[in-house]
Amino acid sequence: MKSLDIAATGMLAQQLNVEVISNNIANMNTTGYKRQRAEFQDLLYQEQRRVGSASSEAGTIVPAGIQLGLGVQPAAVYRIAEQGAMTITDNTYDLAINGKGFFTVELPSGETGYTRSGAFQLSADGDLVTPEGYLVQPGVTIPSDTIHVTINANGQVFAAIDGQVAPQQVGQIELATFANEAGLRAIGNNLLLETEASGSASVATPGADGFGSIEQGALEASNVNVVAEITNMITAQRAYEMNSKVIQASDEMMQSVTQLR
Amino acid sequence: MENPGYIALSRQMVLRRQMDLLANNLANLTTPGYRGESMLFVEHLKPTQPREKVAFVQDLATVRDLRAGPMSHTGNPLDLAIKGDGYFAVETPEGERYTRAGGFTLDPDGQIVTAKGFPLLNEGGAPITVPPDSGAVTVARDGTVSSDRGELGRVRLVGFGNEQALAKLAGGLYDAKDQEPLPLEQRDIQQGKLEGSNVAGIVEMTKLIGAVRSYQAAANMANQEHQRQRRAIDALAGVRG
Repeated sequence: MKSLDIAATGMLAQQLNVEVISNNIANMNTTGYKRQRAEFQDLLYQEQRRVGSASSEAGTIVPAGIQLGLGVQPAAVYRIAEQGAMTITDNTYDLAINGKGFFTVELPSGETGYTRSGAFQLSADGDLVTPEGYLVQPGVTIPSDTIHVTINANGQVFAAIDGQVAPQQVGQIELATFANEAGLRAIGNNLLLETEASGSASVATPGADGFGSIEQGALEASNVNVVAEITNMITAQRAYEMNSKVIQASDEMMQSVTQLR
Repeated sequence: MENPGYIALSRQMVLRRQMDLLANNLANLTTPGYRGESMLFVEHLKPTQPREKVAFVQDLATVRDLRAGPMSHTGNPLDLAIKGDGYFAVETPEGERYTRAGGFTLDPDGQIVTAKGFPLLNEGGAPITVPPDSGAVTVARDGTVSSDRGELGRVRLVGFGNEQALAKLAGGLYDAKDQEPLPLEQRDIQQGKLEGSNVAGIVEMTKLIGAVRSYQAAANMANQEHQRQRRAIDALAGVRG
């Protein structure tokens, strides 16, 4: 019976759905996390009676044939790039992007990573680094005798140095955008990599046309909406149960056949 | 003499196919833009003797439920839902196809595409391209796509004279076959929303119970017919039990 296999595709799809939802809920407090959504598509159709075939010699045609679908498949799991809420932390090196764009980070492998999470710190040499110690690109080095650091909306980093009246510009933070942000590949640690599907990065200073601006002393919270995730989970669980009932019902039908003798 | 068994068999055959259909509806309970299907059964009359006919059952067609599915808010600017009638036109390697599933993304060139990578078409029949460094994309209710770079195109929406005659393909696509797509006067596209599947789980579950019980009843009838024939043979042959 095909219904057994069809219901199995339905159960597998809902399992994936619950996995995506649970990852969203697990990351509800992850800085800069973008929620994901699993999208499904119907599978192939088997034509038992073709639409539009002739049903008599008088030229009448079948208005709607019999097409039996073979189940469901996951089409994509993609990130929804909606802006997350700003959380004020008052930490000097916490930066949030208000609008489009990613911070650029140099990974230990030499590759370039992109992140929305702006929870930066200083290294022993005064370099701006991520919590893993990866350097932010282009590099920003804060002199050791700095008493106060200001980063403005355009990403200019000013250091007030002991004994000097005017603050000194010590760096410039840049942002990268992509034609297709959903095509970036997530590698964990809030980092994303460029792919064939994302297109290549275009880099500019914050606040330029089409780029977001920087907020110092704030972090972008994850954009997970817990209420929506929970209701999605309920729907997924019920759909899973209904598909399992189809398997049970198909089993009962086959059982009544074997009992025929 | 054999007819009761065959009639029960005709019922069981169509019930198996209905079961496949119900399973497919339930498997696609959360597929965006999916439209539930139900089976249309008809009597199939066969004369047995003069002025006497027996009725077999036949599944004539699958009928698509054309009601709109529920709209859910996703917050993704490229999730488009059609309120009311109409289909999006997408370009596939096999030609133009139509869909209600409005979960679009961008490809590396900035074209608006489906999850399978088929470009969404504008009124002129060309893909809609979003420049890589443009800001947020907005889609107006009449389908006009724009960003801070100005207007980028207008989404093509089409209708059909007979929606039931559209052939279903995998991935939520429809093939128009011989029908010409008609331009739509009334158009209402909702951005950031997706049309869910219009399958009602509860209705499908009750149909499922009905299908299983009917199948069992038909099996029971076939069994009783078998017993009746055996008793008849025993009685006519005069065998003592």
